[in-house]
Amino acid sequence: MSSNKVQSIHDSIKSKIQKSEDIVLKELKTKEKNLDTFYFKTLTDETQLQNFLIKPFFEIITPDRFLSYLQSHPKIKPFESEQQTLDELIGGAVILFYMDTIFILDSRIDRNNSVLDTTVETTIQGPQSGFSESLGTNLGLIRHRYPEPSLQVDSTKIGSISRTQVMIVYDKNKVDPVVLDNVKKFLSSIDIEIFQSGEQLLDFTKKSRRTLYPTIMVTERPDRVAVNLTTGKVILLIAGSPFAVLMPTVMKDLMASMADIYQTYWIGKFLLTLRYIGLFTSTMLPAVYVALTSYNPEVFRVQLALSVAGSRHAVPYPSFIEVLLMLIMMELLMEASIRLPKAIGPTATTVGGLILGQAATDAGLVSNIMIIIVSLGAISNFVIPISIFSFAVRISKYLLLLLSIFYGLVGVIIGFFLLIAYMVSLDSFGKPFFTFIENKSTN
Amino acid sequence: MNRYFLYLVILNMLTNVIIFVPNFLIQYRYDGAIMSILIATISGMILMYLDSIVFARFPGKGLPEIIENRMRVPFKIILFVGFSLFWFTAGLITLLGYIDILHRFINPDLPKVWLMVIFLAAICFVIQLSTQKVVYLLEIILLLNGPLVIFIFFKAITSDYLNWDSIFEIGTHFFTPPKLTPIVVASYVFSGYTNIIIFNRLFKEKIKSINFALILGLSILNLFTSFLVPIGFHGADGAHEYMYPWIMTSDSIRLVYSPIERALFIFLMLYISITLLSVSVHWHVAFELIKGSYIKKQSKKKNWLVFACFIGFSILAVLRIDLLKPEMVIKFWLIARYFFEIIIVFCFFFFLRRRKA
Repeated sequence: MSSNKVQSIHDSIKSKIQKSEDIVLKELKTKEKNLDTFYFKTLTDETQLQNFLIKPFFEIITPDRFLSYLQSHPKIKPFESEQQTLDELIGGAVILFYMDTIFILDSRIDRNNSVLDTTVETTIQGPQSGFSESLGTNLGLIRHRYPEPSLQVDSTKIGSISRTQVMIVYDKNKVDPVVLDNVKKFLSSIDIEIFQSGEQLLDFTKKSRRTLYPTIMVTERPDRVAVNLTTGKVILLIAGSPFAVLMPTVMKDLMASMADIYQTYWIGKFLLTLRYIGLFTSTMLPAVYVALTSYNPEVFRVQLALSVAGSRHAVPYPSFIEVLLMLIMMELLMEASIRLPKAIGPTATTVGGLILGQAATDAGLVSNIMIIIVSLGAISNFVIPISIFSFAVRISKYLLLLLSIFYGLVGVIIGFFLLIAYMVSLDSFGKPFFTFIENKSTN
Repeated sequence: MNRYFLYLVILNMLTNVIIFVPNFLIQYRYDGAIMSILIATISGMILMYLDSIVFARFPGKGLPEIIENRMRVPFKIILFVGFSLFWFTAGLITLLGYIDILHRFINPDLPKVWLMVIFLAAICFVIQLSTQKVVYLLEIILLLNGPLVIFIFFKAITSDYLNWDSIFEIGTHFFTPPKLTPIVVASYVFSGYTNIIIFNRLFKEKIKSINFALILGLSILNLFTSFLVPIGFHGADGAHEYMYPWIMTSDSIRLVYSPIERALFIFLMLYISITLLSVSVHWHVAFELIKGSYIKKQSKKKNWLVFACFIGFSILAVLRIDLLKPEMVIKFWLIARYFFEIIIVFCFFFFLRRRKA
């Protein structure tokens, strides 16, 4: 490259960078040679700079030998284009101008690379550590758990402003090429400004951008990622997020906990059955209560129907108002306990759960059975291991409740049918969402 | 994907209770019902087999795709609209029958139109799905309901109130010569196979003979159960007093230890989803056939128009059902259906068998 051109690039980059406190423009000089460096000191690891650049610069005396040092260092890339250089600079690289050549030293600082403990998907047994917030560390964690040469990693960027680096990880021999194709098409179709976490992708899975049931799973566990790689899934790692995205995700995955693998066969199956029972009760219970107390008490045997009615004798309004009241209270309680600082959290549960629940029954506002139903519904909801799905289930019970208010038992069954039909209608990157059959890899 | 054929037939077997099949059979209990059931079984199996070998020549193609380039447009429109009318009425009759049952036994206070509206909403959601999704739903709902069906069957058979002597008495009329009506009525159990004209899209290979063997066994079991169990509960003379013999039968079964004491409610809840599904399958066929008449010029507007027709007709029908004498209508419809089936199966057989796929 001619020295004029290098000089013009030098000036042009200098003019494009806004003058800010953390930019460093430094010239290194010895008798024989001089080196211009550009970098952001907040983004760049200065000890690396010291070790890889400044020390050798003064140790290697002849200019030619230093040039060949720069050319052969693995962390140093040659110049490609001005735009790329600018992007690298903003990303934390150091730009070097040396003897009419431009080099890019990749010395970006890797903050947040400590491995975090799992907090969302906890298990009793099995690995306890999750991902970190650093892309390189996360990829390393995956490679560590999945030491296969067929593991392929592609890279792309999402977000028109954030330009977040996203890595697409999959096992080349096991992935379904149709799924991989769908995933890549999906990623290129995303139109978003700031992209920071995989959950943001959820709404893009549908054309209408309004999704209820997640067809993408987000996990913080490297062991789950490794297991899912063997079933041919595509994994996305997002820079700055301790959550990996798994695609495609079907309902079976959303109901699976990693604990199933770390338990014996029958215990695992038992826990799985328990979770499906929880799913069923948390969607159906409030609706069934309204249907059976207000519409069709004759369904129950007489003794039971009487005891339900007896428990309600002091309640001055119809059952659906009672249910709505309690459900909203429960939702408020749940929402509050997530937002509250950890120190006050237990107080909220005590006040809400014990005092309010007890007082509401004593005041004759709700029946005892109602309290049981609401808390049973909430507890069964917590059994669902993936939190996004448990939120979706929490919402879908209101559909059933609405139908049961107008149609009684018939409404509950039709609502349940509709939910199943809706789940059946969903697709996750070409795989049917509501399936219990193991996805076998096509190869 | 062959098992879906089995499911389609099983679905029709289960719906026979709603569409008055047991009533007509019980009506002819002394006049050749048993012989008629056997003849219906033979004729049903033959028709099913013929239809399946015709469509096996066109793997993965429904009727609209097969006919697409073989017919002039006006003929095609007449053919498809005519066919889809048949499937539409098949669904409508089931729907009206079941709404009547719900109105009588579960929600007497709720106007029938309201019930119709919620059923239509659910059905319309299902019929616009792709054929593949409809059978997925079919499979899941049958899997969920299968245990209940078996449970009620088991409870009915082992009930102390089931009087085997009444059933044996009907057995003494075995050699009475058959009559047309019970043959036609009993053959309804098999007619799930006709849905193959659309669902053949999913059948990539020839339907395995194990399916036919299963269907034969299940259909005989099904027909004799739906015909003889009410007789066992209500007596050979008493059974024909009821408009819905099976519902009264299930109400006679007591579940001693269950919180739901009357099996009637389990039965009715089970049939809500079975009916929804049966109507959805029939109307899906109707909808896809109509779509077949404008296969090259698909548009959302046309689809909405078809939906509007479906919904309008159904609401009109539910408003005017009392004038129609449902039992008579269903009887005539069942007879017409039988001859329609025979005609289309033979037409397909002679026109399509020699064509290449």
